[in-house]
Amino acid sequence: MRFPHPLRLLLLLLLLAGGHLHAQLKWDAPTQSFHRVPDDKEIWAHYTFHNTGTTPVTIKSLRSSCGCTTAHLEKKTYAPGESGEVLLHFIFGDRKGYHRKTVSVTTDDKPTEPLVLNLLITIHDPVTIAPALVLWKTGQPATPQTVQLTVDDPAHVHVKSVASSNPRLLAKLEPTKPGEPSVITVTPADTTQKESAEISVQTDYPVDSPHAYTIHARIK
Amino acid sequence: MKRALRQLAIVLALALVPALVSGAIQVQWNSETPTSHGEVTLAMIHNWGDKVLWVDARTRSKYDHAHIPGAILLNEDEWDSLISPFLDAWDPDVPVVVYCDGGSCDASHAVADRLRKEYPQVTKLHVLKGGWSAWSGK
Repeated sequence: MRFPHPLRLLLLLLLLAGGHLHAQLKWDAPTQSFHRVPDDKEIWAHYTFHNTGTTPVTIKSLRSSCGCTTAHLEKKTYAPGESGEVLLHFIFGDRKGYHRKTVSVTTDDKPTEPLVLNLLITIHDPVTIAPALVLWKTGQPATPQTVQLTVDDPAHVHVKSVASSNPRLLAKLEPTKPGEPSVITVTPADTTQKESAEISVQTDYPVDSPHAYTIHARIK
Repeated sequence: MKRALRQLAIVLALALVPALVSGAIQVQWNSETPTSHGEVTLAMIHNWGDKVLWVDARTRSKYDHAHIPGAILLNEDEWDSLISPFLDAWDPDVPVVVYCDGGSCDASHAVADRLRKEYPQVTKLHVLKGGWSAWSGK
């Protein structure tokens, strides 16, 4: 009887160990990107996978980086050759701009090496207000400060009204030429005491449900 | 003997291939881990004295259940309605420290980043390393 050469045996063992390093779940698109507007409110993202290994794989846990993103799974164990999907539900809330949310998927074949699903979202508001806060320190000169409202498409967004919640912090919409950003001037009556105001900027965009934006004014 | 050493070298070279592939995947994962800029520890905050504005970036239900005494709620779920109370409580001379659950939560950094971007007047802004877990010891 001929025994295998020890080095051949070692080669076989190392190759088997190397093969085990690869996850048995193969994911089609573990990173997905979305571009949305605030009115979309939510995203449902499908992350499909296939068990390409030779043994069943059990998904032990799905851990989200944010309470705004929940992960759903139809069942936990997948036989060789079987496919499944993790469904991520992201709720915008009052988020804007770029967001990266992750869900860590831990399986029984790699309990210490979770796979990370990435959900990349850009929530683009066609209207921006800057600065969002106008601030004076008590005793400072009561100099007017200006805020610009910039829109992607000036032809379709107009400021209809501007109103301050505090008569001691007056807000006024300045006249501008067509196509230029709207300018709002905020002027304190004086800065002798701390004051607070929310200035509501009512637009006509979008037509079916026009948005109002808020400028915050404070004397600290 | 020479033949055995040559075979051993070939075996090790072959074993290196899956190890390198696995390592590359690990590096890629780690490069996507969020950075931890602007973090401070509880010990550092204790040295500042009592004057800190705590900002709880967790969900309203977690805040209602328990929060750091004096903390106010500010998260991106309800940003539009919570930013005004935050600005009322904010004092430009007092450090602001934002926290979330701790561990892998990213809400505190998200809130701090948004404050930096939209409210650059809020300059003394930090994130509590370890979050609520570090504070509560749980």
